[in-house]
Amino acid sequence: MIGGMKTIAVIFGGRSTEHDVSIVTALASIIKPLELTKQYRVEPIYISKDGDWYWDQKLKNIDLYQSGEIEEFMRKAPKVHLLFDNGLTLVKSSQFAGRKQYKKIDVVFPAMHGTHGEDGELMGVLEMANVPYVGCGLAASAVAMDKVLSKQVTESAGIASTPWTWFYSSDLPRRHSEIMKEVEKLAYPIFVKPAHLGSSIGITRVESRDMLMNALEVAAHYDDKVIVEQGVANLIEVTLPIMGNEDPLPALLEQPMLHAEDFFDFETKYMQGGKKGGKKGGAEQGAQGYSKIPADIPKDLYDKAVKLGIDSYKAVGCSGIARIDMLIDGKSQQVMFNEINPLPGSLYSHNWKQAGVSGVDLVSRLVAYAEQRWQSRQKIATNFATNYLKQF
Amino acid sequence: MRKLVSMYTPRYVVAIVYMLQSTEYEVRPYLAWLRRVQDFTKVMYRRELHKTRPAMLLLVGLSLGMSLQVVLGVALIWVGYDSDRVVLTVIGTLAVATYPFVWAYGVVILLVIGRALVINPKQKRRIARSGRIFADHKGRKIAVAGSYGKTSMKELLVTVLSEGKHVAATPANKNVALSHAQFAEKLTGDEDIVILEYGEGRPGDVGHFAEVTKPNEAIITGIAPAHLDHYPSLEAAATDIFSVSTYVGDEHTYVNANSEGVASFLKSGMHAYSEKGALGWNVSAVEISIHGTSFRMHKGSQELVIESHLLGRHHVGPLAFVAAYANKQGLTKEQIEAGTKKTKPFEHRMEARNLHGAWLLDDTYNGNIDGMKAGLALLEELPAKRKIYVTPGLVDQGIETARVHSELGQAIARTKPDLVVLMDNSATTQIQQGLEHAGYEGKVQIEDRPLEFYNNLEHFVAAGDVIMLQNDWTDNYN
Repeated sequence: MIGGMKTIAVIFGGRSTEHDVSIVTALASIIKPLELTKQYRVEPIYISKDGDWYWDQKLKNIDLYQSGEIEEFMRKAPKVHLLFDNGLTLVKSSQFAGRKQYKKIDVVFPAMHGTHGEDGELMGVLEMANVPYVGCGLAASAVAMDKVLSKQVTESAGIASTPWTWFYSSDLPRRHSEIMKEVEKLAYPIFVKPAHLGSSIGITRVESRDMLMNALEVAAHYDDKVIVEQGVANLIEVTLPIMGNEDPLPALLEQPMLHAEDFFDFETKYMQGGKKGGKKGGAEQGAQGYSKIPADIPKDLYDKAVKLGIDSYKAVGCSGIARIDMLIDGKSQQVMFNEINPLPGSLYSHNWKQAGVSGVDLVSRLVAYAEQRWQSRQKIATNFATNYLKQF
Repeated sequence: MRKLVSMYTPRYVVAIVYMLQSTEYEVRPYLAWLRRVQDFTKVMYRRELHKTRPAMLLLVGLSLGMSLQVVLGVALIWVGYDSDRVVLTVIGTLAVATYPFVWAYGVVILLVIGRALVINPKQKRRIARSGRIFADHKGRKIAVAGSYGKTSMKELLVTVLSEGKHVAATPANKNVALSHAQFAEKLTGDEDIVILEYGEGRPGDVGHFAEVTKPNEAIITGIAPAHLDHYPSLEAAATDIFSVSTYVGDEHTYVNANSEGVASFLKSGMHAYSEKGALGWNVSAVEISIHGTSFRMHKGSQELVIESHLLGRHHVGPLAFVAAYANKQGLTKEQIEAGTKKTKPFEHRMEARNLHGAWLLDDTYNGNIDGMKAGLALLEELPAKRKIYVTPGLVDQGIETARVHSELGQAIARTKPDLVVLMDNSATTQIQQGLEHAGYEGKVQIEDRPLEFYNNLEHFVAAGDVIMLQNDWTDNYN
């Protein structure tokens, strides 16, 4: 700590198709409000698309990325090393006389989306360092980021989902007819998705058999696992941001403004400001484009969805923050788990603000949750005295 | 030390011109600011230098002067060194070392001479010419004076009276003799009503404005500590403001009785207006919300239904007065009601804005204690999940500074906001003392970078919050 201020490392970028989304999440929704609390000194850590780590105050400036000057920066800047010394310390070579610069980190705030970050890999490193970090732990992140695993885990907890199947991408050429047969047990329309990717990358809505093979190949191109889900009739799509550890706190149930025959692809979500569905009365523009907050559905259905969201959060073992996507059959009033996002884009702060939690308040609470979880983990015994070595 | 080093940076000359411009080339506030500055590289915080003709002339002049002094100094050092004349070397060194001081203070002499020889005579001729225009004008001339609320009253009068009359008014907050003169030059002569805002600056101002503009009626909007750096006391300022009544007569003077400061100056012959009524009209059924203010007015069998987008109970009195005055001037019920419906908050004066479901009440042009209390009363009245109050305090309070800020702190405490955000400046401690004295138990946050706080408000607020932002200090007060 410096002068009573805690040092927080915000890690963003990374080897992921959502690299750029991560930069925006980190700079706009995490670093800025963290600094405004005046309780934390923020150290930005940028991971390049090649996986190199950089640490510099300049990395907090969005112009660096927008102008492309980041390439020049990376050519000159020293890479950062991690030192595990009963916590986490950043180390980099100073440009003056090769002296090393050290920075002890009190809390890490991962702002990574997608592979090699949101999927538990980064959390594994942070667990090894025994440093408090914000958001879901290693196991919950890995399960959440694998759509197949998350369905298996939630199903085992008795949480409903739409009929689905899955296969390894490597099996597609070898077990082609078997996979097709399995997939065709589902009723069209169906959705074909890479199992680990977010931001709607590689997802295809398939209306008929002639589109199917292409959709499977596209998804297999992006991921080693492919999940195929049956579409929901009379669809109402809702999403619920949640934060907390043992006692999760829901934000407001949000209803993306899209038609039943439509869905957001990456372009719609992030590049066009989500205008595919068009802006309608009472709609808010958030990370997912225009949506209704709170969702415009009957109260009992709303409550049912919130309960299923919290049940899913707990079943997967989430902590800190996550967002649960759910599908509702408007006619049968059935609510189904769809997927879970362990680090929602921009923390879904637009929704939290509507729920009465400001951006500054949100990041402060998330840091407090991280410290609370770390404290409770310190109480767990990691030593067990044996005479095993003596007997060896 | 930081101050000294910053005087030798290339931007120093720009900072000097910026300070002169920000203080409207007034010598006293400029010198006071010059003494206060801790770092000249951080003087231009809120805005940049406006490249006006006088500013550019000064910039070029000062740059040349400073450069010449340095060149001369270096030359003297050189000659002194070359000829072994220590005196020349010392003088040269002094010339190089002192150029920032010489020109920062030397420019004041230029200003005083320029004002005395060129500007003042020119302005006097223009003001005298405007006196003749006002004397010949056949329309009803209304003077609006007071420590606060002048611009709002003027705008209310224009909006409502324009429904049935040809009205002209001094623009924006242009309220000194020269701006009256400029306004007079634009009058066509066929206006039914001419409204003149009087901005008191120093003793005698209001009386002088009245002599030149020759009003038939006067409205006094309130008395509170303001511009007290130029008046010896609040009483002196009030005396100056009320001097307009000796010109128009008590029977033609209308006074806002909701202002505590008018009490000892209000005479029985004057017409008092308040949230209870005006000119024989009674006010009832007042309703206040984030969207506006409404009430009914009755006089005998007559009724007026007043709806306005203006926020806060303190607007009831002025709205009632304007409606009653419009009735006196012959406007119909329909015209008055249509006119008042068009009234809305002026920029940065109790202006409501929705931000992510939170309501921001922008009252950053509010600069007096009565106005601050009115804003606090509105904050107290509005329902909210969380109430936040933001202020840097007040300026130009003169000898009243400590008392006014302590009073402000106590008023804030009585409103019980969940969070009070104060800007780190000379008034902070006094407000905090007021808060403590009144037993405030909420959270107090001190911001050392006001602009950053205002620019990042979206990160601090959430749905259900009501945030009242009162007053904002420009660079020359920091």
